[in-house]
Amino acid sequence: MLIQQIINGLTLGAIYSLIALGYTLVYGILAMINFAHSEVLMLGAFLALGLAALLPALCGSGAAGLAGMFVLSMAGAGVINVLVERLAYRPLRHVSRLAPLISAIGVSIILQNGVFLWVSTQSLRFPEPIAIGRLEVFGATISALQMVILASALLLMGLLHFFVEHTRLGKAMRACSDDISTAGLMGINSDYIIALTFFVGGALGGAAGVLYGMNYGSIKYNLGFLPGAKAFTAAVLGGIGNIRGAVLGGFILGFLEVLASGYIPNGAQWRDVIAFAVLIVVLLVRPSGLLGEKIAEKV
Amino acid sequence: MTSRCAAVLASAVFAAAACGPKEKAVKIAVAVPLTGDMGTEGQGLRRAIEMAVEEANAAKRFPYKLAAAPYDDRADPKEAVNVANLIVSDPRIVAVVGHYTSGSAIPAAKVYARGPVAMISPAATNPEVTAQQNSPDWIGPRMVFRVVPTDDVQGAYAARFAYKSLGARRMALLHDKTPYGQGLAEQFKKTYVGLGGKIISEDGVSVGDKDFKALLTKIKGGAPRPEGIYFGGLYTEAGLILKQMRELGLNDPFAFISGDGAKTSGLFDVAGAAADGAYLSIVGVPVEELPSAAAFMDSYKKRWTGAGEELKPFDHFGYEAAQIIFAAMERAGGPDRAGIIEELRKTNHTGILGTTTFDDKGDTLNKIVTMTRARAKDRTFPSVKQ
Repeated sequence: MLIQQIINGLTLGAIYSLIALGYTLVYGILAMINFAHSEVLMLGAFLALGLAALLPALCGSGAAGLAGMFVLSMAGAGVINVLVERLAYRPLRHVSRLAPLISAIGVSIILQNGVFLWVSTQSLRFPEPIAIGRLEVFGATISALQMVILASALLLMGLLHFFVEHTRLGKAMRACSDDISTAGLMGINSDYIIALTFFVGGALGGAAGVLYGMNYGSIKYNLGFLPGAKAFTAAVLGGIGNIRGAVLGGFILGFLEVLASGYIPNGAQWRDVIAFAVLIVVLLVRPSGLLGEKIAEKV
Repeated sequence: MTSRCAAVLASAVFAAAACGPKEKAVKIAVAVPLTGDMGTEGQGLRRAIEMAVEEANAAKRFPYKLAAAPYDDRADPKEAVNVANLIVSDPRIVAVVGHYTSGSAIPAAKVYARGPVAMISPAATNPEVTAQQNSPDWIGPRMVFRVVPTDDVQGAYAARFAYKSLGARRMALLHDKTPYGQGLAEQFKKTYVGLGGKIISEDGVSVGDKDFKALLTKIKGGAPRPEGIYFGGLYTEAGLILKQMRELGLNDPFAFISGDGAKTSGLFDVAGAAADGAYLSIVGVPVEELPSAAAFMDSYKKRWTGAGEELKPFDHFGYEAAQIIFAAMERAGGPDRAGIIEELRKTNHTGILGTTTFDDKGDTLNKIVTMTRARAKDRTFPSVKQ
């Protein structure tokens, strides 16, 4: 049972972490909370649903179709995030700190209601990409789905790490995050880097949306809100702006929820209360989050 | 031009009659969720009642024109109260068919009582929907009725089914903390424990929760392990629980039993093949198995042919509620709110549900419950032969 709960926590945590990365990347560069991120996540899931109907004709079902659906949904979500930045945030970047924040909330409402009005008001069935195969390990049941979710989340986190730490663009991103105007003086096109950051964050959010749809089997116009709020919490818990912090925060939150509903009598009702109470305590002790530093090495 | 406008304005002020021929009709409000998770079920009810209204108009049953006025409560208690206030303030509305969920029906009924305007619920099954009329702080006459049996009937029936028909002696209890879900679960528990069964665990979940894996893992690892889950709640959560149950390897004969709120084709959208084998109790008899409803089903299929416009689980209750209101209007001799309430109490209506009469709370005395079992391959719920 303990092993089973650890697996449950890992799956949940992996999804939270992926979403949290999107918040943290944007915050790292612009010190702004992208409230529309939860909607990018939702749109990623809807894109995947649309592609799932189209793709089998193009590249067949099975692993190729799945990978195609994944990559295209990620790219689509990334592009949407870039457009949101270009249209709703960039014109307001130098106005005040509050204006882009309100603009983000507005974008979130527009995107959510757009899907509500034009796509569907109901839960839509998300196709099951892989048959629910199961693996029995030490009495725990791991579904093929959970393995796919964990593997793809870890792979994406690894890729992100490599991108940020070991490529020239990643270096430019880190430079912008340290000091955006100095980075500009050194010849880095900061507008480009910001757009790139939104693309990467959006793509990760889109990936999380696809995993979310696969995990729960159905999607709805408002699916982004709850995981978005939780992932934002996870990002703050880990130290917002810090990549490792976002991953750590996501897994901690996933485990907390699982422990609360699995081990505390009647804990399912108290799950969110327990998770957020822990968050408050952590922030009281470490106001900048677990891995956040005063002068944060952002991104 | 100006004088005509003034005349219209004057008549609007004095007679509260608005302009346009459409507005002249006497209206029956249909207060159900038309959007959101429960939207499909609400849309079905709207179609059934619109059809009843069209039939009455075609047969010239009344000397005036009837119209159905749909209102969307989104299955949200706050929105239900807003909608109820709109309905009460429209003098052309003489009765209400609604609401769908108990959570909406309970607060909305209080608003209708101030009208007072009669309300017949085609689906809300929590006992409190009608029982609240006996509380001392009830303002207004008794005007709440319903054509569906209550949760005490349904929960108790499911408990006897689990204990006697399935032979399950240990069950885990889950509910969604709403008046409907918790009500069902409590009634289940009362009867089940009374029969000698044991409730191993009891947990509440939140509407909108997606992840029940941890909770189900706990239930799976329970000592002793329960032989099934009884869930009081609606199809979204029921579907997710079913799906995640199967992923954890909790398959037949581990039972999943729930109530009528989960028995809708939406369950198959959420759970897919995992829905197969779930037991769902429903009030009344499945409409397909009601000989008296054959004509209704026929005309429904002819009238509504669009995509997604197939018959929904409560449509025949909505249709019957409208018929009961029409009969009361005929007896009352006119579209008069108070007269209709008076006549509804004396209802003795034989229609597609058999004979409906109301007890002194307004609950139907026609209390049949049937157990059905989900079949994923053709997305149906055939009744379980016992």
